[in-house]
Amino acid sequence: MKTPASFFKTFFLTELLVGLYVTMRQFVARPNVTVQYPEEKTPQSPRYRGLHAQRRYANGQERCIACKLCEAVCPALAITIESDVAADGTRRTTRYDIDLFKCIFCGFCEEACPVDAIVETRIHEYHFENPGENIMTKDKLLAIGDRYEAMIAADKAADAKYR
Amino acid sequence: MNAIPDFVNTLLPFLPEWIRAVVFYGVVALILFISVILTMAFLTLAERRVIGSIQARIGPNRVGPGGLLQPFADVLKLMLKEIVIPTASNKFLFIIAPLLAVIPALAAWAVVPLWPGFAVADINAGLLYLLALSSAGVYGVILAGWATNSKYAFLGAMRAAAQMVAYEIAMGFALVGVVMAAGSLNLGDIIDRQAGSHFSYFFWWMIPLFVVYFISGVAETNRAPFDVVEGESEIVAGFHVEYSGMAFAVFFVAEYVNMILISALTSIFFFGGWLSPFESWSFMPEFLRAGGFHWLFLKISFFLFCYLWFRATFPRYRYDQIMRLGWKVFIPVTLVWLAVLGVFFAYDIGPWSK
Amino acid sequence: MSITEILFYAFSGVLLVSAVGVITARNPVHAALFLVFSFINSAVLWLLLEAEFLAIVLVLVYVGAVMVLFLFVVMMLDINIAQVREGFTRYAPLGILIALIVVAEIGSVVYVKSLGTEVTPVAQVAVEEGYSNTGALGELLYTKYLYPFELAAVILLLAIVAAIVLTMRQRVGLKQQDVAAQVSVRAKDRIRVVKMAPVIEPPAGSEQGEKQP
Repeated sequence: MKTPASFFKTFFLTELLVGLYVTMRQFVARPNVTVQYPEEKTPQSPRYRGLHAQRRYANGQERCIACKLCEAVCPALAITIESDVAADGTRRTTRYDIDLFKCIFCGFCEEACPVDAIVETRIHEYHFENPGENIMTKDKLLAIGDRYEAMIAADKAADAKYR
Repeated sequence: MNAIPDFVNTLLPFLPEWIRAVVFYGVVALILFISVILTMAFLTLAERRVIGSIQARIGPNRVGPGGLLQPFADVLKLMLKEIVIPTASNKFLFIIAPLLAVIPALAAWAVVPLWPGFAVADINAGLLYLLALSSAGVYGVILAGWATNSKYAFLGAMRAAAQMVAYEIAMGFALVGVVMAAGSLNLGDIIDRQAGSHFSYFFWWMIPLFVVYFISGVAETNRAPFDVVEGESEIVAGFHVEYSGMAFAVFFVAEYVNMILISALTSIFFFGGWLSPFESWSFMPEFLRAGGFHWLFLKISFFLFCYLWFRATFPRYRYDQIMRLGWKVFIPVTLVWLAVLGVFFAYDIGPWSK
Repeated sequence: MSITEILFYAFSGVLLVSAVGVITARNPVHAALFLVFSFINSAVLWLLLEAEFLAIVLVLVYVGAVMVLFLFVVMMLDINIAQVREGFTRYAPLGILIALIVVAEIGSVVYVKSLGTEVTPVAQVAVEEGYSNTGALGELLYTKYLYPFELAAVILLLAIVAAIVLTMRQRVGLKQQDVAAQVSVRAKDRIRVVKMAPVIEPPAGSEQGEKQP
């Protein structure tokens, strides 16, 4: 079992030196892969699941038809929907809240939506300053959707051929 | 002891002799203290940058140019934090434990010769003084662990006690070889005995002792791979688990000052301290052949880098492996090499032959 | 009164107080710490006598090693103080008697010594340049007191060997690991790689179709 070779190996700490060599090689040769975040950013996929938004059709009508599929599929029970008949006789939500503290950003709501109303955008740099701001109300969601419609539409188009 | 220089006597002629001495040594000690603390501060930065680089990361680079002000930001943060004292702890010992850890670490610097002919206190038994202080440093850890009244802290303290006692012995034995060769316990004399060329450094004649000494030094300062005392994965942070703010910072200072001290001592005992490695090469320009603080600084830096290198390379030893290494490997190795050294002396082999 | 004397009285005072603390402290850990403190103070007293070797060795051996192990044990004990004090009044007379005998012995020794030789004040010992009492001590130990010194060393060695032998006996059923064997083990000692002809599975769906997703 104990050959002279293994004895010398133990006493000259060869294996430890090999380990030291490996780390030294990393120290000298390998470039640092850290991304300097606010200045540099990693590329994002069009499927990135960030902050939620609600979309409208081109004529300004909101897409959501209050089918409540997203509420049903949401694993974190983050979505609360109340619906009523709107002035034009269509079925619309009167309340559409997403609690971002509960949301796990799984994207199931987006998948469940038959009219592509609720989507997750690429926006991931946001914060809350006061309690209650974590509840994304319908107005807020629509505002986000209006503001980033171009980006959302482009992402949807890029992903469409894989669906 | 160094004599009080004349300018102190002319500046403060109205004071009695002993007050002048106290003032002079106080100022010298203060300067040394500040330099050691500053070195320690930048060592923390260096550690994070070096280990970052080994792990293909960058490390702190935001505060100041290249992260140079990061240590000061850390200190500021720690100073502003509250020191929480656990209710069931022993308050007096809890507060005093960090001080017991840091005082020996700083006091040891008194006898370290920094450049030719200078040490704050050039005492005869300097080496013994160092051993005594480094063994006294364990009290801070033990008391912190006990006074915290927490199982994790207590386990850390127990491990620290056993580990430090074990490695102290191997360390002491390794130094016996140095003392045999130097014929003196004074650190200045030990360096003087290595003068001549870099082949008269004790390193070449006692490589096993050097290895044992440095590894024991790593174990003695509770650094990776011997950091079971802190053992994040098992006992959270070991003895300083309940320490916060400046109380924690003081432990941190003690650990890093000890690292610098061990590096300095390794370079003094085995690599000729402030001696120039090119001393005997007559073709080199004179300023490279002269000894000085810069050589000591380079040597210390190298060993500190080794500390960080080890930390980035080796996984943590298990407690029983540490004990085995200390008692059953290092002590026999040093004893055998002491016998070999004895043969060297008997037949006048080596640079110490008269 | 010189500074040395002031320091001497200060440190002796602290030493006495902490020595009293050793026997009066209720908590055994505090008692051990008081003992450490009194060791340090007596080391300082030795420093005042310019016996720095003895002072440092006292700190190194007693403070650095012995008391650490002491604390190690004491901290792990769960001592019930009431139980320890149970027989105090019963044993008190005997204890006082022994204490008196010890005091009398020490007193007589001091008295007899003081009859013969005059105690030399420290300041009067001439110290020439380059004198190291560490060296002087070594010289004495290895010349005049060589045999007692070596004898003491051998006795200590014996104690160490005995302690090791006590733990070295091989008990039946004791599980130990041989680290050297663990380290030197290679993959080929543990596993055997067998070359086998590949087995062609029938196409999926024929038998286990319902298990497929």
